[in-house]
Amino acid sequence: MNWRNVFLIFRREVLDQVRDRRTLFMILVLPVLLYPAMGVGIVPLIQFSEQPRTLVILGADALPQPPLLDGDHLAAEWFRDPADQSKIVVVSDASPSGDHSEPASVAEEKRRKLIETANQFREPLERQIVIDAQFTEAIRAGDQQAIASLGEQRKKLAESLRQPFAVSGMHVLVVVPANFAEHIREMKDAAVNRHGAAIHMDYPRPIILRNSADEKSAVAAIRVQKVFSNWENAILRNILREVGLPDELPAPVNPTEMDLAAENELAANVWSKLFPALLMMMALTGAFYPAIDLGAGEKERGTMETLLICPATRTEIVIGKFFTVMLFSMSTALLNLSSAGLSGKYMLSLTGGSGGGLSRLGDLSLPPITSLVWVLVLLIPLSALFSALCLALATFAKSSKEGQYYLTPLLMLTLGLTMFCLSPTVEMQPFYSILPVMGPALLLKGLLLGNHQAIGLYVYVTPVLLSSLGYSFLALWWAIDQFGSEEVLFREAERFDLRLWVQHLLRDKEPTPSFAEASFAFIFIMMLQFLSIKVLQAPLQTATAADRPLVMMQVLIIQQLVIIATPPLLMGVMLTTSVMKTFRLQLPRLSDLAAVALLPLALHPLTLELSAAMHAFFPPLPPSVGEAMAAMSSDHLPLWLVLLTFALAPAVCEELAFRGFILSGFRHTGRDRLAIVMSGLAFGVMHLIPQQVFNAAMLGILLGWIAVQTRSLWPGVAFHFLYNGLEVCRNRFGKTVEFNGGWQLFFRNEAGLRYQPLLLVLCALVAVGLLCLLARRRSPFGEIQDQPTATLAGTASTLMPR
Amino acid sequence: MILVEQLSKRFADLRRDGGFMALDGVSFDVQPGEIFGLLGPNGAGKTTCLRILSTVFRPSSGTALVAGYDVVTQPTEVRARIGFMSNNTGIYDRMTAYEMVQYFGRLYGIPEDLLEARIDHLFDQLQMRDIRDTLGSKMSTGMKQKVSIARTIVHDPPVLIFDEPTSGLDVLVARKVVDEIRGLRDQGKCIIYSTHIMREVEKLCHRIAIIYKGRILALGSMAELQDRYGQPDMEALFFELIDRHEAEVMSAK
Repeated sequence: MNWRNVFLIFRREVLDQVRDRRTLFMILVLPVLLYPAMGVGIVPLIQFSEQPRTLVILGADALPQPPLLDGDHLAAEWFRDPADQSKIVVVSDASPSGDHSEPASVAEEKRRKLIETANQFREPLERQIVIDAQFTEAIRAGDQQAIASLGEQRKKLAESLRQPFAVSGMHVLVVVPANFAEHIREMKDAAVNRHGAAIHMDYPRPIILRNSADEKSAVAAIRVQKVFSNWENAILRNILREVGLPDELPAPVNPTEMDLAAENELAANVWSKLFPALLMMMALTGAFYPAIDLGAGEKERGTMETLLICPATRTEIVIGKFFTVMLFSMSTALLNLSSAGLSGKYMLSLTGGSGGGLSRLGDLSLPPITSLVWVLVLLIPLSALFSALCLALATFAKSSKEGQYYLTPLLMLTLGLTMFCLSPTVEMQPFYSILPVMGPALLLKGLLLGNHQAIGLYVYVTPVLLSSLGYSFLALWWAIDQFGSEEVLFREAERFDLRLWVQHLLRDKEPTPSFAEASFAFIFIMMLQFLSIKVLQAPLQTATAADRPLVMMQVLIIQQLVIIATPPLLMGVMLTTSVMKTFRLQLPRLSDLAAVALLPLALHPLTLELSAAMHAFFPPLPPSVGEAMAAMSSDHLPLWLVLLTFALAPAVCEELAFRGFILSGFRHTGRDRLAIVMSGLAFGVMHLIPQQVFNAAMLGILLGWIAVQTRSLWPGVAFHFLYNGLEVCRNRFGKTVEFNGGWQLFFRNEAGLRYQPLLLVLCALVAVGLLCLLARRRSPFGEIQDQPTATLAGTASTLMPR
Repeated sequence: MILVEQLSKRFADLRRDGGFMALDGVSFDVQPGEIFGLLGPNGAGKTTCLRILSTVFRPSSGTALVAGYDVVTQPTEVRARIGFMSNNTGIYDRMTAYEMVQYFGRLYGIPEDLLEARIDHLFDQLQMRDIRDTLGSKMSTGMKQKVSIARTIVHDPPVLIFDEPTSGLDVLVARKVVDEIRGLRDQGKCIIYSTHIMREVEKLCHRIAIIYKGRILALGSMAELQDRYGQPDMEALFFELIDRHEAEVMSAK
């Protein structure tokens, strides 16, 4: 690698981008202008956005003391913040007092109309009270029939009121029953004169009508309810006072609250959500547009070949371009964050510290500087990942336009993951820490909170950074690979012709499937898995508890046969010329078969203990898996059925799919190691649950290697069957076995059969020995079966000279 | 200087069984001080052949040596010793003529002081002083072609490959380009020149290969070819060869 060339290319590309006004505007100028502009726009919106809502009170004359109303508003004393008083305008049918008596004014006319409309609600609402009372009674009596019919009536009543209420012009309607004040007074008198006897009084209560599906009505109703609650409290206190009881009786506990959150922690709360999201989004967009310009743009402008014939190697070119993209990605992200942060801070200072209307958004002062350093540190691997990904996609794209199409899915995926991480219930844990995007997002969220919780997060810094860098390198490797492929660099404008394509698929068959066909098979299996969830769950849900294990077995076998085995088998028959070669059906050498068959005995204890050791690393298992495990160890089911479900069916079906069709297709690239790893990973991903994904990916890689090495599917089937069979037997019989004497050196019983370190060492030795034996059988990596000499269509094989 | 043996290149093609043979067993050699002409219609395989020589493509089979280096195993060495110009090697829109030539000069690893002198010399020779600080996007086709030529020869390579360098140019500019290439030949460069224009071949080339559908139909100096096929007129010779090839293919079927 000539770093001088890398630097030359980097410098040129940066200069090129800086000279492009559009890119510069998108990436640098826009963010600087955007946030202050948003700030300017948002301040008046927040201050003036809440329009007063209309509350109509019918029967206002029957309201008891103390006065609820104050002219056209609810009395200020019932609001916690007296400023909120203006947000509710009251229209009531109270007899006008003196000066309000001027008739025929427009406002008066409007008021009259509104009251008239509101009065139409009175009768249905009173009916509702009766129904409600009957309903409560029916529930108390347990009269199912009455409950049903009354419930239906309630629903119908509400439905009949919905539309008129929506167009009535009022947001909340309160109907006060006639003589309400009287009733309150009576109750008070009764309380004063009760002489120790319990009193029970029943009288009609006011009704508050709202439509919580309408936001205006919902917000106003909440305010009205709070006011009513405060007012009710005052009435209660009045009564207590008259009865001669302490005012404080209704609030015997009334704890004092103290909030320990420092001001900057509150601030952190807002930023800890905003910053990670903004960082991801901007690091990605900041990478994307320059990447398109540097990849597809270069092709489009016809300078790609000029660059390819210069002495710089393709790796140097890609790395130079990669650093350029990364520079812009990081600058965009940082500029956006600082612009957003500073605008927030400025707006805060405008509204005078407390934030005024802004406080509704949360505190906007900036998080502490140490947290901001973390933003910078985590930005590096994130930008690297996005830059490399975008560059690879942009290199693949034939034109800028095509490149743009790739942005949306990438952005959606990233945003989806980020949003998931920002939900308060999702917390950092070991497994998440090594996932791309999620690790950094969760770490950043935690660190920006800037409180004691952050201390626990420091253990995750290393895994997050290391795994993120790992993903970045993988993505960069992909980008370099893309750049090395002449099919990608010189993609012609293809005309998509479905007929021609199908014709080609069926006519130009080869002995084994193509890479694209194998990928399609995998995606198809995943889609079927997803779509079949509901179908396969249905029989489980309707089954009785006793039948469930049996039904589950059936479902699992059907799933294996229909979803995993059938699509690749059909594709193999239709799209290849040699089913034999595609699925590696040729018989293995007996010695190979024997060696592979011994392998599970050695590997099963090792993988089991490894999974146990990594238990804490993964999120907890979903309950359905626990159920499957229980079924596996259940004595009620015949052993053959359990073995068929968990060992034989997967061994045959999954091997046919993953070591048969998919591996054969992936090997079409001419890169056996990559094909083995990819088929292994695909096999892992199919298992969906993180624990199993890890385990299955490891075994998948091993099985892929075995399949290539022995040139046959059957050793893999044997391995898979024995491996799963051992687990079934361990679960079924291991619980009750006791170990005495020398056996304790090898086994122990700890909630099931477990293995001792000595046995593990022995197993490891045997496994290594067997693997060496297999590895020495032949060296397959030179030979690619039945490949045409010149690599053809769809193979990304042609690695260019570097 | 250039030695090509049994070079083949196959591309994937949905419409054709087994893909499309863009180049099918091509062999030739070019000496220093010689201009070797590749004459053929569009789609004959000229560009594919030259792209293999410039290491942009990898051959499906066969070998090619440029200045003693194999294009497959020592691509960097090959690229350092060739100047390649085609109508696919554009110039950067957002770079000035000087920056463009300087950038490639640096990539070729020319020391700064030498590079400056070299660029000065080239700008004089190609009469492009006035466009020194003009951005690529503001240049006319002729200006761009000059910058391309300067870019191609800035590192003074022993081997030069021109793929239809005059296509799309008006006669004035085309003539200048041809003159320039003749000047390079006089400096003892080894030059491959591909075109579909007969007159340029007649004017420039010592030897020519007529290439059609990925195969060389005839190879030799102008006089040899005229003797061999008894056809004094180059154009008539060209058509005759193609007709003869088509007839052979038809009868073989």
